[in-house]
Amino acid sequence: MSIFVNKHSKVLCQGITGTQATFHIRRSLDYGTPVVGGVTPGKGGEIHLGLPVFNTVKEAKKETGANASVMYVPAPYVKSAVKEAVEAELDLVVCIADGVPVKDMLEINHMLSGSKTKFIGPNTPGIITPGEARLGIFPENIHTPGSIGIVSRSSTLTYEAVIETAEAGFGQSTVLGLGDDMLIGVDFVETLKRFHEDDATKAIIVLGRLGGTFEEVGAEFYKSLENKKPVIAFVAGNAIPFGHKMGYAGDVITKGYISTQDKKDIMQDAGMIVVDNINDISIELAKLA
Amino acid sequence: MNIHEYQAKKILQQYGIRIPKGGVAYTPNEAKRIAAKASRSGPWVLKAQIQSGARQKGYFLEKSAGPRGGIRLIKSRRDILRNAEQMLGSTLVTIQTGPEGKPVSRLYVEEFSKIARIFYAGIAIDRVNSALVLLVASIKNESITNIAFNHPDKILKINLDIEGDTKPEQVKQVMDFLKLPPKSARSLEILINGLHRAFIDYDASMIEINPVGVLKNGELVAVDAKISFDDNALFRHPEIAALRDDCEVSERELQAAKYKFDYREFNGSIGCIVNGDGLALAVMDMLRVKNLDTACFLNVKGGVDKDKIASGIKIIMTNPRVEGILINILGGFLRCNLIADGIIAAASEVGLNVPLVVRFEGTNKEDAREILDKSKLPIILADTMEEAVAKLAEAMEEVD
Repeated sequence: MSIFVNKHSKVLCQGITGTQATFHIRRSLDYGTPVVGGVTPGKGGEIHLGLPVFNTVKEAKKETGANASVMYVPAPYVKSAVKEAVEAELDLVVCIADGVPVKDMLEINHMLSGSKTKFIGPNTPGIITPGEARLGIFPENIHTPGSIGIVSRSSTLTYEAVIETAEAGFGQSTVLGLGDDMLIGVDFVETLKRFHEDDATKAIIVLGRLGGTFEEVGAEFYKSLENKKPVIAFVAGNAIPFGHKMGYAGDVITKGYISTQDKKDIMQDAGMIVVDNINDISIELAKLA
Repeated sequence: MNIHEYQAKKILQQYGIRIPKGGVAYTPNEAKRIAAKASRSGPWVLKAQIQSGARQKGYFLEKSAGPRGGIRLIKSRRDILRNAEQMLGSTLVTIQTGPEGKPVSRLYVEEFSKIARIFYAGIAIDRVNSALVLLVASIKNESITNIAFNHPDKILKINLDIEGDTKPEQVKQVMDFLKLPPKSARSLEILINGLHRAFIDYDASMIEINPVGVLKNGELVAVDAKISFDDNALFRHPEIAALRDDCEVSERELQAAKYKFDYREFNGSIGCIVNGDGLALAVMDMLRVKNLDTACFLNVKGGVDKDKIASGIKIIMTNPRVEGILINILGGFLRCNLIADGIIAAASEVGLNVPLVVRFEGTNKEDAREILDKSKLPIILADTMEEAVAKLAEAMEEVD
């Protein structure tokens, strides 16, 4: 079992004929990911990486039965690509691009609310269910199938957490990056909910960071759960001085200033095991064994 | 990206928002001329155009600039020239600029607006709810940041649609919250709709009128204005991108931006090169535990070539604050061997005079380690992030 994607998924690649898409889809195919086709407007009818290419997502879905998409389209085109995926009623869209304009994300999230499509990203390494499916740019060789779910707001810290699980002798059920941008799609709440519904996931690693209040909202949700799976949490950003221009100035005025320590306190209060050092995750995991 | 007050005011004026009469001056004589046009008998306000808040409470580094701050109320005509001379070309320090301050190359010269009361109005993005929020608060002596921090309930927050105008009932809500007189109604409607439309039209990430002044006749005037734009949307607004003021960014930041790297400076002594924002934060946290503070970090993100990496590394190596370097790369997109090649290219060009610890993980890490080994450069290799930080701390002590 897993969340969002597994070996039974039928994955499309939007923008499949691009350089990055070609590099990563080839790797994903080698990994065994069930990729069934690709979409590049104007290149319908071609075969790329042994896969059929379609002009539209709708057409691709009709021909292949696809239910998920990983898009490698450049930031300015993300909005229209998501629109297509939402209209074709795909279950999942994973968006790797960084630099998607904030206004486009506002419109994308507006489009998504009330649709059946879930959107992971943007600016994410994607999602991987080890041994089954890789949608994105994860270095697949560090992953092994197992029982730890990992969800992160930071791309590279995700890899660090994967290495930690291996260190403690565990594998991963599903690993996903929520994305590093100002606005994101799928959040901690949605992910924690799914990890709790997934039998294969025995414990969860949550990686947060300074900025926004995504961790707090996730912690509130976790607090409300009756049967909690253990969550080990880390939040990066202790060393950033107050008032430094890093981060979004609007956070302060919309939510009041929230420090990394505040986040950690809220998460601890919700029942999560909070570590101060990311390399302590393996120690806490070992205790769970 | 930020722009100057006078540029922001000009944009807001397009939407019918009233701004005080005035103009921008690059020389004292220009200041005098604009002042005469703005108001016959004064008073006037001279405002240093640097991209920072709290300019009034700031001070100039140069004694010749006099003891007054970056915003000066001028009552007599002959004082305009003298004050403009003092301010132009001097360096203004505020709580936001850091101790080095920012050079003042232009002034905004305005008529002084007699105002009965002031309030804050702005639009920002509520990240968790993925919404535009209109923020309004009465301001007396406290700054808006302090109000947000200490009495968040004193800020009215209203979600706005991403299309169309602000709804009349929302404008009414603001009227009631601020207890504005009925004669301000029309002016408030223009102000809020103007903010709203400007935000959408220009892909802003934040707009603030801080403060809005209420004139005796009830009309509202933007006494100050600040607009931040979404860097990722500047491709849609070349006219805004052209307003970028390179004086506002350090030379090294400019260099990094050229290669689309993210570069930040702090007050410590360690230079970090990473490939991720969160990773940068985590490394900084770990350094702090070892009593090491960060001088700067460079996030090289993904998909780069050897030459770009070398240029990025050079930015760090040539920062005079840097007494030790930590490179922590977790290759996904980014192949570690490219970084290794980049390190060697940069070191051979600018030399390596400080301890350098490198930790690679992920795509092509073995190749990368081999490249560094073969180079015979005094580079310390580490397997984990924790080990890298520990080894750097050790090496720094040896240097001392």
